Amino acid sequence: MQNSKVHYWFIAPALLLMFILLILPVIVAATLSMTDYSLGNSSFNWVGTDNYEKLFSRRSYAKMFSASLTYVLIVVPISVALGLGSALLISSLRIGNELYKAIFFLPVMATLLAMAIVWEFALNPIMGVVNDILRSGCDKRLIYGFFTGSWYGADPLQSWYGAACADRFPIWLGDKRYALGTIAFIGIWQGFGFNMVLYLAGLTSVPRELYQAAHMDGADSAWERFKLVTWPMLGPTHVFVITISSIRSFQVFDTVEALTEGGPSKSTYVMVYAMFEKGVRQNLLGIGSAITIVFLAFVLILTLIQVYFVNRRVHY
Amino acid sequence: MELKASWLGEFFKHSVLIAGAIVVLLPFYLMLSYSLKSPSEIETNTGGFTGAQQIMTDSRCVKAGNAEEDCLMRPIVYNYTAAFKEAPLVRYMLNGVFVTVSIFIIQVIVALPCAYALSKLKFWGRDVVFGLVIFCLLIPVHAIALPLYIMLAKVGLTNSYAALIIPWTISVFGIFLMRQFFMTVPDDLIDAARMDGMSEFSIVWQVMLPTAIPALLAFGIFSVVAHWNDYYWPRVVITGNKDLMTPPLGLRMFKSDMDGNEYGPMMAATTVIVLPLVIIFLMAQRRFIEGITMTGMK
Repeated sequence: MQNSKVHYWFIAPALLLMFILLILPVIVAATLSMTDYSLGNSSFNWVGTDNYEKLFSRRSYAKMFSASLTYVLIVVPISVALGLGSALLISSLRIGNELYKAIFFLPVMATLLAMAIVWEFALNPIMGVVNDILRSGCDKRLIYGFFTGSWYGADPLQSWYGAACADRFPIWLGDKRYALGTIAFIGIWQGFGFNMVLYLAGLTSVPRELYQAAHMDGADSAWERFKLVTWPMLGPTHVFVITISSIRSFQVFDTVEALTEGGPSKSTYVMVYAMFEKGVRQNLLGIGSAITIVFLAFVLILTLIQVYFVNRRVHY
Repeated sequence: MELKASWLGEFFKHSVLIAGAIVVLLPFYLMLSYSLKSPSEIETNTGGFTGAQQIMTDSRCVKAGNAEEDCLMRPIVYNYTAAFKEAPLVRYMLNGVFVTVSIFIIQVIVALPCAYALSKLKFWGRDVVFGLVIFCLLIPVHAIALPLYIMLAKVGLTNSYAALIIPWTISVFGIFLMRQFFMTVPDDLIDAARMDGMSEFSIVWQVMLPTAIPALLAFGIFSVVAHWNDYYWPRVVITGNKDLMTPPLGLRMFKSDMDGNEYGPMMAATTVIVLPLVIIFLMAQRRFIEGITMTGMK
């Protein structure tokens, strides 16, 4: 049976497609990144490492790297923490855990582009409900006192909330100080439910006996049990969740393209959007390909870090 | 004392989770609510969830030369009819269904035999092929969108269904997942099938396929959700031809074509596009969550 050649027919299509659609594009990008090629041109010039030098020297690309990294550094810690926090709360509930799980997972399923448009409307500085809600708190003494710190004797105008009440609330996506944070907020809103589900799966694999053992050893408070048992036992889940979140947030595109187009003043000019703008819109395939290669390198590094930790079998 | 403390804890946990749930659900609530309300209610943020549903005049209908009394309608009717009239929503949805279903079927046709060969057939070079699959898992398809776009443009395939489907026909992740699943299928089953004189082809499609249904379902959920929601790739390869647009891309066009106070119709269109997946998700919640986490690696 094993001497038949049938396996060729089984693996050939997959191999062929893998080569044409995954490996060849990487080679094409690596090659084009050293040229000044544009679609429609009959020829191109070799420019060596010029494109990479531009990437690492020009201000607009410095902004690109900083926007991508800042986005990742905001979204990953918060969405991982929220994922873990909600998983811990939900798994300890007596009733209603299925319901919360479904609600928090809903944004993961929903079309991000569509929901981004809804958020844009909600964040509209004039008609949007977000600023409406924030404004409505300004004349409620309890809320105002709490958020401005005037309760505990601070000067309300020194606080963010007090100053905004006195003047006006931000225009979020239209203000370069807030735009990236706002995009990151949508990213967190969309992604933390995914982390929650991964953590819930991780929590079910923590053996019950360990909690009893910890109890015997005098770990009475919930916090001590968490520190002694839950946190270390979740080691492999942490590695997985953090890498996945990092790779996913590196790929942010939909919200940026639909809501800010990289602006204002390049504050949300993330890598995948830059790739799209340079390569597809402006037909500058050399520089676009160079961004592609740098992006691939980033993702590869993240994956290698993950593999390293997984192989060490992190259980502390 | 203990009991009281635990009830207090339970109350506290629910309060935190409910606060979170409100933020998570806010845009869904707004989307539905705006799709029901009249332009003036949207602008002033009044009318609660459904709005007053007072009869309004469709200004576009009047401009088109119809008598005023023929153009009176409730805001909900106005929003949803405008959504379907302004944008070829039905076409977008059909494109979405066609593209996602085609992608999934081709992925299975390519991946299943390969996974079978990698797990149940012994041949020279098998480990190399599997190593290649693992290596390709590292390449995020979004990252290589630009070279793929260049290659498709070179063969003249941009702005076609083929462009929307071809790059996704190979799912190394699908191969990996199926291979892991087939490793758990006992060899006896396959030997018995061979004894019965079945060819390797029929073993793949008549023996392995039925046993793989649970894994295929998980993979199918993952694949369909990912490609129904995908915006980046259609944005790159479809330029301007509305006949080929998928739902997210069509919605984006709607947004940029929109003038002034078309928020109601746009939210109606958004609702129509988001709702199918959400409803299916709520009906088969457990399967979805399992499917997406199981395949969460991508």
